[in-house]
Amino acid sequence: MARPACLCVLAVLALLAAAAPAAARLHDPEALPEVRIQDLPYGDVLFYYYQGKDFEAATRLLAYQHWSSLPHHESDAHLLLGGLYLSLGMYDRADQAFEQLLTSDVPTGVRNRAWLFLGQALYARGQYAEAERDLIRISGRMSPDLESQKELLLANVWMREGKFDRAAQLLSSWRGTQQGWTAYARLNLGIALVRQGRLAEAAPVLTSVGTMYALAPEMLAIKDRANLALGVAYLQARQSAQARVALDRVRLEGPFSGDALLAAGWAQAADGNYRAALTPWLALHGRSPLDRSVQEAYLTVPYAFVELKAPGQAAQYYRTALRSYDEESARIDGAIARVRSGGLLTQLLTHEADSPGAVIAGNDPMNDDALPDRLSYGWFWQLGNVPDDPESHYLYAVFAGPDFQEGLRNYRDLKLMERMLRQWSISMDAFQEMIAARHRAYAERLPNVDAMLASGRLAGLKQRRAALADRLAQVGRTRDVTALATPQERAQWARVLRVQTRLAHDPDTPSYAALRERLRVVRGVLLYRMDREFAARLWHERRELRTIDLALGRARERWTGLESGRQALPTETGNFAGRVGALQQRIGVLQARLAVAEAAQSRSLADLAVHDLEQRKKRLQGYRVQAQFALATIYDQAARAGGGGKPSRAPARPIPAPGAPQP
Amino acid sequence: MQSLKSDVLDLNRDLFVLEQELLYPANTQVAVFVSMDAGTFFSLDTVQLKIDGKEVANYLYTPREVHALVQGGVQRLYVGNLKVGKHELVAFFTGKGPHDRDYTRGASLEFRKDIGAKYLELTITDDQGKLQPQFRIKNWE
Repeated sequence: MARPACLCVLAVLALLAAAAPAAARLHDPEALPEVRIQDLPYGDVLFYYYQGKDFEAATRLLAYQHWSSLPHHESDAHLLLGGLYLSLGMYDRADQAFEQLLTSDVPTGVRNRAWLFLGQALYARGQYAEAERDLIRISGRMSPDLESQKELLLANVWMREGKFDRAAQLLSSWRGTQQGWTAYARLNLGIALVRQGRLAEAAPVLTSVGTMYALAPEMLAIKDRANLALGVAYLQARQSAQARVALDRVRLEGPFSGDALLAAGWAQAADGNYRAALTPWLALHGRSPLDRSVQEAYLTVPYAFVELKAPGQAAQYYRTALRSYDEESARIDGAIARVRSGGLLTQLLTHEADSPGAVIAGNDPMNDDALPDRLSYGWFWQLGNVPDDPESHYLYAVFAGPDFQEGLRNYRDLKLMERMLRQWSISMDAFQEMIAARHRAYAERLPNVDAMLASGRLAGLKQRRAALADRLAQVGRTRDVTALATPQERAQWARVLRVQTRLAHDPDTPSYAALRERLRVVRGVLLYRMDREFAARLWHERRELRTIDLALGRARERWTGLESGRQALPTETGNFAGRVGALQQRIGVLQARLAVAEAAQSRSLADLAVHDLEQRKKRLQGYRVQAQFALATIYDQAARAGGGGKPSRAPARPIPAPGAPQP
Repeated sequence: MQSLKSDVLDLNRDLFVLEQELLYPANTQVAVFVSMDAGTFFSLDTVQLKIDGKEVANYLYTPREVHALVQGGVQRLYVGNLKVGKHELVAFFTGKGPHDRDYTRGASLEFRKDIGAKYLELTITDDQGKLQPQFRIKNWE
């Protein structure tokens, strides 16, 4: 059965993938009422989330929350943040994030999803009772996809708790929305029934999975797993004929083929068909000796020859087995020495970084590909490349173990975080330089700014504007047409006034009277023209005044900005400098903590690998003792037969290893 | 481990906040986002951005990024600083259009930058009527 963490990860991925785009695009009963992105920063978070860059997505989401930039997506953001914490392995924070959503003012659909997330988080940590409690709190039915995921998770919880009856009852009516989930659930149901000793009920369930139509590698593996489980269950129930039918359905090349071949041999041997049993067991002989089933086949093949009364061949195969066990033991010793030398992880990660498509971690905002992502960071990272040499191949099996994988992921997380902080540390130096440059620029410009602010130019302009407005109002009120005259008209009007003054002092003769009459006509014409244009000119002047008002308004804004900048800039620069200093200190502290954690994690991984390898060596030693004993028995029998003595008992039937296939 | 990860995440957030506030103060900040809806008629390769005639971004998309956009993510393509006043944004989109043909289109927008952050969104949508992609620039007030 899949590991709980793996299941959780799959479920969270599926759930989040179903949730967030729905919020953005389509109507989904689980989503908040919004059907489109209303805050662009939330879309920015999703952009990183959908690329699997969970650390960057979480960083940005927290930053946008800090700036209150997500007012329309508050609940969605909390839900997403909880999911991101989960995928980053930060369970405590995930709990907090989800619990914030478990209030009455959050829509039921969102609350249900929070309960489901919480249940998954608890399940991944092995807190099955708490996971069950939270899953049962989900009220009403969710969308078909989420409902099926909830039921599958609940069934898994019950199976982990040993409540197979309840799990079987739930899964018997379970209908998944995707073939993978359905097959997986039915496989789990079949296994649960077998463990309860209800083979008759389990058989049709496992047979239906084992005979389903499948093309995808994952589906084919599930098929093989179901057939193997059924075959072994039949074998244990001493129904070897049925066992063979199920085991024959397992592919010859696949993750379960070794165990299936071993079990197929035992299914023949159970009926005394040792010759037939040799076929699958000898097929295992040519395979990699790293496989436990292959190691076991080194014992079962000679055992079959003994049963077929062919002690010579049996002895030959036992000797081969002993040689193989010794070689493997030596390789394990080499692998242990290599792990203890301390260079294993460095070599492993260096090899990975050199491999094509390796993702280089960092936090350069200009280089998206430098960001850690879900595929290379956190819980979803899988070991893709192992150095290509015999010892490493032995280590591969250790690396693939769940405990080592989890530890290795943590180690790699630490490495990525350390690299990220190193990059930030470089940025901090640049920020400090920038702040210093701003400070210098401020000092250089300060005298000019002070001179400008002290000049009172803005106040002077405001006064002039006020005077102009008063004058215009007066002109309008008194209809002073000459005040708005053109320069030419103004010159003509001045001339008329000058002539008028002179004529006022001249005698009252007919010639002067004629001049006065002409002047009166000219004056009248001029006044008429100015009066005719007065309204348009007054409107134009008022419009000009409004333009001046706008310009003055902008000048006032800039003046105010200058004044406040003059006051605030030293404080702001000082604040930034203080923040940079404080953050540099935090970077230093965390870098030290990361170094300590890295060393501890490296030691822990080495211990884990050594422990695993020693266990393997111990198992090989057990096989070796059995082979030695059987070989000695054959020699003993041969000697007695040659010397006419009483034959001793036959070699013992090989003891299946503790890790032998279980349904 | 959880505590260490939490502390690093918090620090990363604070560093990001500092960086943004230091480099792009809210009063002068202008950010250009890119979003895609469906993307049936257009497969995005690059976006080139010009503000007031000056190229400020020329971005080549990876398939993973395009996938993130199609799923509903919105990329913050450019963030910078602009003075208060009128400006012009021009965007050129290149990629594969209908029938897998090379496709280049442009869109432009005159906008006014006031005091405070300014958000602009380049949207790529499917025009189901014309069976063509549509490129628009939205001014977020």
